[in-house]
Amino acid sequence: MRSIAHATGRTLLVTALLCGMAASARAHHSAAAVFDMNAEKTMTGVVKQVDWTNPHIWIWLNVPNASGQVETWGFEGMSPNFLARRGWTRSSLLPGMRIAVTFRPLHDGKAGGMFMTGKLEDGKVLTSAGAEYK
Amino acid sequence: MKYAIHVVLVAAVTVSLVAQESKMQPPTAADWAALAKLPDLTGVWEAPTVGRGGQGPAIGPPPVPQLTPAYAAKKRDLDARNFDDTDAANCLPTGMPAIMGHPYPYEFLLTPGKVTIVTEAYQQVRHIYTDGRPLPADPDPTFNGTSIGRWDRDTLVVETIGFSPLTTIARNTPHSDKMRIVERFRLTGPDTMSVETTVTDAEALAKPWTTTRTLARHRDWTIREYICEENNRNFLDAQGKAGVKLETPAKKE
Repeated sequence: MRSIAHATGRTLLVTALLCGMAASARAHHSAAAVFDMNAEKTMTGVVKQVDWTNPHIWIWLNVPNASGQVETWGFEGMSPNFLARRGWTRSSLLPGMRIAVTFRPLHDGKAGGMFMTGKLEDGKVLTSAGAEYK
Repeated sequence: MKYAIHVVLVAAVTVSLVAQESKMQPPTAADWAALAKLPDLTGVWEAPTVGRGGQGPAIGPPPVPQLTPAYAAKKRDLDARNFDDTDAANCLPTGMPAIMGHPYPYEFLLTPGKVTIVTEAYQQVRHIYTDGRPLPADPDPTFNGTSIGRWDRDTLVVETIGFSPLTTIARNTPHSDKMRIVERFRLTGPDTMSVETTVTDAEALAKPWTTTRTLARHRDWTIREYICEENNRNFLDAQGKAGVKLETPAKKE
């Protein structure tokens, strides 16, 4: 039962992401111009800082690299205006939280991408389309 | 002779003062009461998107304007140079008509003789005069143009002219100084509104370009601040290449 609900939630959020993001990206910038919209990566780290700012929120994540050093990755999310109407608050993600971020990588391979979902340690999933899906 | 000129001048000044005065009359209680008889467009509206209980937007490629050969050539040239993105990535507001197509809300305010549309994206304001004044003959070009409106039974019909050359009809699609936009705003339910937009431009468009959008009213929403320059890490450079600035974020204590 739980897994069915989970699967439905995922389908919903993916649909919402595809439609919502495509439209929202047009408001400010073309996502496809800078992010590889056909690729999806996942990275686990500790939140260093969240910029709850327009035109996009930025989530900065400390991630250990292959040689054990900590690298900071930056993930662009939607705007606080868009997210605050869909269940996020500026405290949804706080420094020190450990999350697994799914993202569209930058075309140039640098340490960043477009935020898609963030899975928290308690199992809650934050998405670019809203925080109501678990 | 001198006296005659004086009389004419005094008469002209008097006439213009009277004309100005009548425009500047404060609204009366009757003017405010008359607003209640108009279709209630007031409130915060947004185009519904899938996944949050809306009726769904028009999914699929948006209709594309049909250009004259000369403007089709201009578009091809711009497509080759500005292939990545638009100056909106640098926080330049899009202007009309694109400002009315954002996935952000709009607040409609009705006051005597005027409809004001506050657009959240890029924190823009449209001033639509419904006091019966005509459109000026040759307004200075601006991003959102110069607008007048009138009520055609249940529909607010807005005409807009005078657009900055920095704005476009659509992506990489410039307009001429003849561009004219007519919007028809009409309630289609208690909290739904249809917006039909027709762009005409005898030089740029082979035929008028009409699109329709549905907005949903959110009684519990307020317009939020949107300062694009607050933390804009996107850019489009002079060569038409888009990028993202990833420098170490500022420390926040």
